[in-house]
Amino acid sequence: MIVPHAIPWAPDQELGQYLEQRGVSRRGFLRFCGEMTAVLGLASNFAPRVARALETMKRPSVIWISLQECTGCTESILRTAEPTIGDLLLDVISLDFQENLMAGAGDAVEDAMHAAMKENKGKYVLVVTGSIPINEDGFYTTVAGRPVREILEETAKDAAAVVAVGACAHWGNVQAARPNPTGAVGVADIIKDKPVVNIAGCPPIGDVITATLVHYVTFGRVPELDREGRPLFAYGAKIHDQCPRRANYDAGQFVEAFDDAAAREGYCLYHVGCKGPSTFSPCPIFQWNTRTSWPIGAGHPCIGCTERGFWDTMTPFYGRLPDIAGIGVEKTADIIGAVAAVGATAGILGHAALTGVSRMRARELPQYPNGPGSSGGASNAPKA
Amino acid sequence: MTQLASGIPLEPPVTPDGPAGRILQHPVGKPQGHYEWVYLWQLPIRAMHWVAAASMVVLIITGFYIGRPYFMTQTLATGSFSFQWMRLFHFVAGFLLIATALVRLYWLVAGNKFERFTALFPVRPRDLKNLWRMILHYSFIDRREIRYIGHNPLQQLNYTSVYVAAVIMALTGLALYGTANPSGLVWQSFAWVADLFGGLPRVRLVHHVLTWYFLVFIPGHIYFVLRSDLYEVGNLSSIINGGKFVEAGHDYIDHNPSATTT
Repeated sequence: MIVPHAIPWAPDQELGQYLEQRGVSRRGFLRFCGEMTAVLGLASNFAPRVARALETMKRPSVIWISLQECTGCTESILRTAEPTIGDLLLDVISLDFQENLMAGAGDAVEDAMHAAMKENKGKYVLVVTGSIPINEDGFYTTVAGRPVREILEETAKDAAAVVAVGACAHWGNVQAARPNPTGAVGVADIIKDKPVVNIAGCPPIGDVITATLVHYVTFGRVPELDREGRPLFAYGAKIHDQCPRRANYDAGQFVEAFDDAAAREGYCLYHVGCKGPSTFSPCPIFQWNTRTSWPIGAGHPCIGCTERGFWDTMTPFYGRLPDIAGIGVEKTADIIGAVAAVGATAGILGHAALTGVSRMRARELPQYPNGPGSSGGASNAPKA
Repeated sequence: MTQLASGIPLEPPVTPDGPAGRILQHPVGKPQGHYEWVYLWQLPIRAMHWVAAASMVVLIITGFYIGRPYFMTQTLATGSFSFQWMRLFHFVAGFLLIATALVRLYWLVAGNKFERFTALFPVRPRDLKNLWRMILHYSFIDRREIRYIGHNPLQQLNYTSVYVAAVIMALTGLALYGTANPSGLVWQSFAWVADLFGGLPRVRLVHHVLTWYFLVFIPGHIYFVLRSDLYEVGNLSSIINGGKFVEAGHDYIDHNPSATTT
């Protein structure tokens, strides 16, 4: 891994010069620009514009704060076997403040954050990982003796853009799952006065963050977002519609158990609870671990981690439909439905039998008088 | 000689004698006098009914396959397209059902007095009162009958519920259908349904569970139609030719032929 501080990126140095200094070839740089252009869904003739924007880019100031989280997002992004230019970019721009990567500790770190905020007021990009607990005045997570909500509000106030990385910062993640004891919420629930870009996922794909920053640098604004505040270039299609196992789905070929012949054939995981049909994410295209694999590629169903509330709505992870709460885990929708349908049919047959018996006893039934204008409750019974 | 409104003379039917004849006799009672034909369901309603019925059958069969594929193929994936055919039939039938719902919606306003909103939803005090009486009657507690030519209050309730279920099915179905093209009009228009239920899996669950509601509704519907055809006011033919024969001079709660004829 490239150590961030090994060769620092000087504040007034352009990225092109810096990369050259780091030994990145021109060809490698242009390939990266082409990749990012493709990831953003832009036409290939945008690549030169992306390249121009990137090579003349001055070092952006990024403050990266960690709130109520497991640090898995940072791990996922930084620990790659072969750092790409994108990883390098992420490494070098997270210089101003990143608790996990900083060598310092204690007051020195706090001072560094405040200094960076003051120096780049209104210009820095705030990256947030982790949720914000709001119950009990947020005492569930404190940093430097302060509830993280205060830290978020303070840092977001003068930020040029807020990027919420990971499911925790997006909506709260597992700590916000029912019953949500800490009252965990996402960044967008706290920061209302400026747009929050949600890089959804537990953890999210590093390329999406890089591409979002590239978009910001190239066009001077955040990319187009969906209803959840996620960049559309990445979260614009369901996993299901990009899945390499889609052909098996179309053909009606499904894995029934993880050790059956269909699983060895690599058939569709729809039956064993794949949430790809409910999940918007670029996983099948971008993939993980330097693009070697991803969950469905490894034979595991998608759990839908880019969707809000997935611990509650996407569970059971190995079943296609959610359980009905309060009735029991085994009593799924189909059992209830079948019981209702059979019960209704049995009731109908019983009612029909009783009607038959009743009508055998007396064929003519008395009637109510028939409303206004009635001719006196005339019956169709035979007249005596 | 008694005559129909159309002027056709009608002989009183012959009733068979003897105990066997008594049992086989039509339980509504010995037909008396003359009959008149009441036009209930106009062509759009009849057409809509049968298109909806056919599409519901297709939707249930294909829907259960989509929910849990009950047969699988064993060729190379290139040799089969069974799941997608099922989905195609499901979507086509779904859109047909939505089309019938739109016709029905318009006809709640444009229809005759048997087809309008007030005849299909138990909203009038009269119908609410009779709803309770109908329940007592159908529970064999109160033997007195309440006769409607159109929909009686229990039938009204039945249709109200199926309309509500169909609307929920259409909304959840459109939301699920829309996800295939997130920039398309369908998803843009119906994504709120996913938010309302708290995520697509729950939309799926609602869509799946309500399928069973239709499987509860359909046997009940057929039973009440047949029962009404046998014991109350003939029903079955009216959804084919549009009307039913009722005894002239007999008043019904929602229709008063004696006031209009003679």
